[in-house]
Amino acid sequence: MLRRIFLPSILIILGYGFFISPDFKEISAGVAIFLFGMLTLEEGFKAFSGGTLEKILEKSTDKLHKSIGFGFVATAIMQSSSLVSVLTISFIGAGLIGLTQGIGIIFGANIGTTTGAWLMAGFGLKVKISAYAMPMLVFGVILIFQKAKALKGLGYILAGLGFLFLGIHYMKDGFEAFKETIDLASFAVDGFKGLMIFIGIGVLATVVMQSSHATIVLILAALSVGQITYENALALTIGANIGTTVTAVIGSLSSNIDGKRLAGAHFIFNVITAVVAVIFMDQIISLVAGISDSIGIASDNHTLRLAVFDSFFKIMGVIMFIPFVDKLVNFLQTAIKPGKKKEEEFEGVKYLNDSVLELPATSMAALARETKHLYDNAFEIITHGLNLKRSNIISTMPLDNVIADSYSKNIVDIDDFYLHKIKGLYGEIIDFSAKAQSYMTQEDIQELYKLKLANRDIVEAVKDTKHLQKNLIKYSNSTNEHIKTQYDSIKRNLADLLRNISYITNTKEEDMILLSLSKAKLHAEQYDIVANGTVDNLIRNGLITNEMATSLMNDSSYAYDIHVNLIAMAEIIFIDSDSDLKSLSEDMVMNDEDIDLILKEKDA
Amino acid sequence: MSIKKFINSVKESLGLDEFEKAGKKKSIKRLLEKLKSRKKILDKEPKKKLDKKEKKELKEELAIITLQIKKGEKILDELNSEDTKISKKKKGK
Repeated sequence: MLRRIFLPSILIILGYGFFISPDFKEISAGVAIFLFGMLTLEEGFKAFSGGTLEKILEKSTDKLHKSIGFGFVATAIMQSSSLVSVLTISFIGAGLIGLTQGIGIIFGANIGTTTGAWLMAGFGLKVKISAYAMPMLVFGVILIFQKAKALKGLGYILAGLGFLFLGIHYMKDGFEAFKETIDLASFAVDGFKGLMIFIGIGVLATVVMQSSHATIVLILAALSVGQITYENALALTIGANIGTTVTAVIGSLSSNIDGKRLAGAHFIFNVITAVVAVIFMDQIISLVAGISDSIGIASDNHTLRLAVFDSFFKIMGVIMFIPFVDKLVNFLQTAIKPGKKKEEEFEGVKYLNDSVLELPATSMAALARETKHLYDNAFEIITHGLNLKRSNIISTMPLDNVIADSYSKNIVDIDDFYLHKIKGLYGEIIDFSAKAQSYMTQEDIQELYKLKLANRDIVEAVKDTKHLQKNLIKYSNSTNEHIKTQYDSIKRNLADLLRNISYITNTKEEDMILLSLSKAKLHAEQYDIVANGTVDNLIRNGLITNEMATSLMNDSSYAYDIHVNLIAMAEIIFIDSDSDLKSLSEDMVMNDEDIDLILKEKDA
Repeated sequence: MSIKKFINSVKESLGLDEFEKAGKKKSIKRLLEKLKSRKKILDKEPKKKLDKKEKKELKEELAIITLQIKKGEKILDELNSEDTKISKKKKGK
């Protein structure tokens, strides 16, 4: 309801404003061009965010001070804390970083936004900035039309900066012309009342423009021509800092639980900092004056003094919060909890959400993690379907003991498991992949295709387990020792495979990963009892009935398929992207020829 | 000159392709080192103390590792011979 009224009201007010004042029109156009510049700049940086993103993040956010530094540098370069907040939410959503690291980045981003105020106050208001804007726009737009991703990205960045500069120029010109008709400074309000009113205006302006950066630039433009008083400008800056949290809150709505917690942290941090600033306003103004005097800023240079205030106020907030980060994380974890699931509900995705969709690097990382999640579920179903215990598989217990220790006396309902833990999850992964693909390059799409194959392999393995289960239970308890031995052997071999994969998931030793994968491949061929003549032998000697032989042939084929599917899946998802094996796996992993060679050597 | 050609010539002059190859060479060397030290450990394993099944497993692991080392060395040789060809070509120019 509110949303339905909000947009038309804003449009009507703006339309009326344009009708009565051409200068207001110029200021608004300046804001609009500035905001468009920010959008274009964001688009440009997104083009460069793929590929090495994970590595940079891993190295630059492992400690709190590094996360703060990363947030600061990223915001100073991209000139948008909103973009950094939304990116951080998507990194958290994809599981690339944790909540503490995310909070560090947000702290840093808050300080990083002050660079915008310094640039505007120190450079933007002093030189004819539009002279720089024009060539940037021309070169930028030419580059945008190029096919190469890097050139396109560079084009967006140049055009974005051009629009930012042009927007600032219009805002500045508009306020100068506006001064001749209406003196906004006459509406200045002193004291606590003024402080609260202008904080409110700052919040509102930032919520409408969805950018504290744009609000601060607007404040500086108005302050430079004396359209607002210095004290009211300080209040507006505090308001802008509160209003910016709305962007993060909106961004987090489509995120996972940690994304929501991060938005909560952003909100708490900015509001408490603002409250402290309001309480100690007089002292802060004196301190800012002292700092400004000591670095040689003239007492009438209000724009640069506002930049000092902005920096002081934000750095103060971060210093104030650093000792309480762990407590803040604990609080958020207890205050914002995931919704309770109904018993009937299907298990949903953990990492896939719209917040990670736009960046190929985050969507790919989220998909890889979700595929591992699907495998974890499949591991549970396959193990229980074979009537084995998961804890035994991942232990060092001899395999004969593993198959002797049954999971349950009753048959586990694989269909029910499949419905609750695989089908829905798999569907969501495929659906998300289709959506993510539209943001990806051809190279990324090929990588994505491999992940989709890995998912299909997992689902096929679960389905094969279902087919295998009935006879496996039946013949494991058979009085015919020969058939029982064969089914126990199928069980043991699958347990061996699951153990090998479990080992691969838990080690970073590349040689051991290679050895385990090779062993699994070799065993899959060795255990193929149709190929190695075991079934023929049993039939020829009349040791099993025809019915048993048919079942055994079918089931050994299912078991072989489970081996092949799970090995193919492991090769895709369990080789770490940082590991040396990633670039070498295709050349180093054993192929059919190698397997034949080893098998022949064994037979010899 | 088209943009593609321009990018390729920049890549060539900065040696970016060779940078990629050098990375692969480093990776394979590191992997070979690990495989060789694993083989040494397995070779030293006191075979007399092992039962029949364990002996079979050890033999299998050794066979796999020996094969992986051979594969790795072959890849490394190929990369090295490509390098020699390129440097000869450059000298010829």
